[in-house]
Order: sequence, then C-alpha cells, then structure tokens
Amino acid sequence: MSLTVQRRFVTPMADETLEQLAGRAMPDTPLPEATTLIQGWNLHIFAMRKPRGLMLGSDVVFVEPPLP
Amino acid sequence: MYDVVIRGGLVVDGSGEAGVLADVAIAGGKIAEIGQGLAAGRREIDAAGRVVAPGFIDPHTHFDVQLLWDGAAKPALEHGVTSIVPGNCSLSLAPLKAADRKAVVGMFQQIEEMPPEAFTIAFDWTWEDFAGYRDAIAKTLSVNVAPLVGHSVIRLFVMGPAAQERTAQPGEVAAMQDLLRECLDAGAVGLSTSFVDVDETGRPVPSRYADSAELDALCAVLGEFGRMLQVVPEFYATDITIARIDQLAELSLRHKIPTTFSPLFDSRGNADNAPRAIARVEEQFARGARVWPQMQTRPIDLSFSLLRPSLFFARLPRWVRVLRQPLAERIAALGDPETSARMIEDAGPDGGLAMFGSLVLRGGDAAPAELTGQTLAQIAEARGQGCARTLIDLSLEHGLDVAFLAASLGHEDTDRIGPMLAHPLVHIGASDGGAHLASFATYGDTGYLFSEFVRKGHLSLEAAVKKITSDTAEIWGLQNRGRLAPGWAADVVVFGADALARGDERPVFDMPGGGMRYTRDARGVDTVLVNGEVAYADGAYTDARSGVICT
Repeated sequence: MSLTVQRRFVTPMADETLEQLAGRAMPDTPLPEATTLIQGWNLHIFAMRKPRGLMLGSDVVFVEPPLP
Repeated sequence: MYDVVIRGGLVVDGSGEAGVLADVAIAGGKIAEIGQGLAAGRREIDAAGRVVAPGFIDPHTHFDVQLLWDGAAKPALEHGVTSIVPGNCSLSLAPLKAADRKAVVGMFQQIEEMPPEAFTIAFDWTWEDFAGYRDAIAKTLSVNVAPLVGHSVIRLFVMGPAAQERTAQPGEVAAMQDLLRECLDAGAVGLSTSFVDVDETGRPVPSRYADSAELDALCAVLGEFGRMLQVVPEFYATDITIARIDQLAELSLRHKIPTTFSPLFDSRGNADNAPRAIARVEEQFARGARVWPQMQTRPIDLSFSLLRPSLFFARLPRWVRVLRQPLAERIAALGDPETSARMIEDAGPDGGLAMFGSLVLRGGDAAPAELTGQTLAQIAEARGQGCARTLIDLSLEHGLDVAFLAASLGHEDTDRIGPMLAHPLVHIGASDGGAHLASFATYGDTGYLFSEFVRKGHLSLEAAVKKITSDTAEIWGLQNRGRLAPGWAADVVVFGADALARGDERPVFDMPGGGMRYTRDARGVDTVLVNGEVAYADGAYTDARSGVICT
C-alpha cells in the first residue's frame, strides 16, 4: 500500500531560526513571504504557544497550507 | 497436587478463540494445565458460572510514585489489572539526580496533577539510577510492573538545566544513549517522550527541546533491545497527529522498534480526527511500520473545585494564575471585585453560560446538599447571577470545597468508538492510571470495556479479553504474559461476564497526607491472581506480594 499524500512538514534543525527553516523548506519563495506563510500555517507554534513563536527541536512545522 | 486449581469456569484464554469450560491448574506461579477434571489443588477456587481470563494489562499509567507505598496500585488490581506500564509521557522517577527531584516533581504535579506531598512524605528517596528505583518498588509489588523510562528525565540527568533551554550537543546525545542503555539493561521496557507537555511554570518539558537527531539516536538504542517508544502527540490537531504517525513510522522502520502514541480521542467536534489517524496507521502498518494508537474506553469526564488548579481551566490563563496561588491568597483574589470581574470577562460575553452552564454540582464536604445534581445554569438562574459569578461566589461561600462535574467532554459516542476499539490496529490503553487524581478516576476502564462495548455488542467477550491481554503483551514484548496456557505466568482474573463493570466515581482521601483522589470500585471481579498467588478475592486485597518487574 502506498502512502496517501498528507500535508508536508519539516522539523527544525539544531539551533535553526524561523528564517533559516523557511529558507530551507521553501527555497523558491521570497524569504519574508515564506516566514509569514509558515507562521500562518503553524498557529500551534506562532499563536498558541507561550512564549509565542518559541520553536522547539521536536516541533512539527508545516510548510504548506491544510490540504483540501 | 497443584498450588491452585480454578475449577469449572469459562476459560477465555486471551487468544481470541471461543471460551471453553475447563479447570485451570497453577503450580510454581505458572499455568500448569488446562482441562477438565484436573487433580486437586491446595487451594480450590470455584469459578462455575464465571469467566477465567488472563490478568488485564494496562499500558499507560503513572503509578510511578504510588508504587513506592502501594504495591497493588490500588484500585487497579481489583479491576483485574495484573500488569501495568508506568513511566509514560516522558516522566519517570529515574534516572534522576537528587538535585533535579524538585523539578521533576513539579512536572508530575503539573502534567499528572499529583499532589507534591505524594513525593515527600510517604517514602525515602534513596536512588538516582533506574536500577535503584526498580529495587525500591520491587520489594512490595502485588502487581507486575513493566516500567518505561522518561525522555525528559534522561535529558535532565545529562544536561541539567540546559535540558529545558536548547538542543543537545553530540557528546550529550551519546551520554543519553549510554544512560538509556543502562536503563534498558536494568529492566525498562522502553522510552517515553512528550511533544506537548509543560512544567509547572509553563515551560515545555525537556523532551520537547530534543531535535529529531536526538530522538533518532535514542531510538537506535531502543532498536538494540527491540523496545518500545511511547509518545504524547498534539492530539488536539489531526494534521499534527498524522505528522507524528509518519515520524513514528520512520523511526519504527529504521530501528525495527514498536511505537505507540497516546491518547487518540474521538469527538463529535472533530469527527474525522480518529478515523483519519487510524487510516494513516493502516497505511503505515502496510509498509511494515508499527505505530499503535492507544485509545481509552471511557468518556472524558472532569471534576474540579476551586481548591486547586484544574485542567478544566486550561484555556483560561487568568483563572489558572489565580487558582495556583496559596489558599489564602487565592480566596482573597477570588473575593477581589476587580480580579473576579476580569475572570468573569474571560469566561465569555454570556457571563460564562456556554463555558460553565452545563457543569453539575457534584458535592464536596461543604457543598450545599440541596444543590447537588443541579446544573450551574440552574443555580445561577435561581440566584439571578451569571454562571461565572455563581461559580466564584458559591465556591467562596463554602470555603472553595464545592466540586463540579463537567461530563462527557468528548470520546463519549459508543457507536462510533466501539468499532474503533475493535479495530485490530487500535491498542486499548491510555487510562492514565494513577494520574489526574483530583480531576477524574483513571481506574475501571477495563470494566467499562465490558459493560459498555461487549454487552452492547461491539466486541465479543473473547475479542475484548484478547485486546487487553495477549494483544497488549505482544505489542509491548512482555514475555509469557497475556495468555492462559501451560508454562505461562499465572496472572488470572475471575469475573462475571454480565457483572464486570466500573463502579461510580467517588472521592477518597487516601493519598499521603490525606490528599484526595477520585476512584472507582470494581464490579463483578471475584478473584485476581498474580504469578499464581491470590492477590484479591471476595472484595479484599490479600497480603500477597507476588508482583515482579516484567520485561
């Protein structure tokens, strides 16, 4: 059985910043836009967490919007 | 002559095969023979009209500290549970340096809602390594214990305070690998980690600071032993849960280890959550990965009073801050018009009707008896107040000792959950036994499986027994447990098929220092044997201390 397509994600590398992650995961998207998109797709990190935006090594970071 | 013969019961042996009327003979702590007309035993147990099954195995508990003063993990044993897995959710009591005890107690207090007195007045804390903890509990066990070691404590042991600040350096990861290896050598059955929990100050627990390379390195050690990785995923978000399933699948395939995540809840508000997760699990199993979702049997009920912080207020940070204060300050804050007005404002523009209105007043030492059983909306209407104001005022009027029940917050639809529990890839577990003491009773899920799902036709008697005995033992690699067969450990429960159930939830004050917890008595359990010795019979615990550390 092949895997069905699910929402793409990455996990942060050691000491990686949001900008570095955005550049790695979305190299074809301008960096400011990529960081904004990633923030919007990952409210569990960038809205719900305290301190807001604290990215942890174990996080799932989505690099695309929810699938239809 | 055998040690024990259980005579004339319907033997449901854990294999899933149809039960047969037979005697079960026990000698030397093991099943000696199963058949009809067996020779006499020094002790004879009449099981006519009863079911004789392998002892139940609970794979998700937090009895770590209770086992230090209560080797029966009461009331788990009387519910027929003969083996438990503590150490879940990244937390265990070893390996742990003396200097780090306070930090870990704080995590247990926050995550598992255990009173700090449970860690300070009931036992001498003499160990730092895993073998020391194992030996400390092994002296008085009535149940079998298959302990996990927690990722957060391993991290804390190696990195100290930096465990909650940063990713690990390669040398630190290697030290964690060595430490995990030592724990597995000393009897740990796997590693637990958490992706969601915070400590008592709101900081993420140490395991959450681990990057994927660290977790992979630890799983490589698990692979040397073929042992389990247990994780707590972000169960509130389906996409993240599925991402975690995929992560676990890769770890399982790469290191040839079983993995399990808990909990997996069903809820009407997110109806495709559990079905989507199970569908992904099916896909990953088809690839050869082992990712077992743990699903509890009971609905989510939650009780609380304003005497202590509660999970119920998790979405109301101001309430949490007030309820975390010492009692005198808390009462003062609740009575302060400005503070209480802000709290009420946070409860919503309807005065807390939607958030609190369906709460049922369940009692408490000082609670007004005439209001017991009424909803907060009813009480508030009679008082001419909003619900949040009533919650605060009523509590203040009675010294805060007024308990409320938030019933059926989710996972309550038997017709949806029954087929999921019956699914061959769904692991029945996630009881949280021994945790959340003042919020809900984490005991009796096994009885509820039979009363709610077997007797309503969702699983056969034999399938249900298999699910919580041999399936669990196989998933966790517990040797010679979970079946009634010659040569296997004589962990046995004798119960009434039509009577097995959980009792009503009730508060008791049996924690160290007189601390309160909610509990449930067993219904329909006659006799429980652990390694061939009768540990519970006729409604009472015996002096048997035949439990072992099992691997």
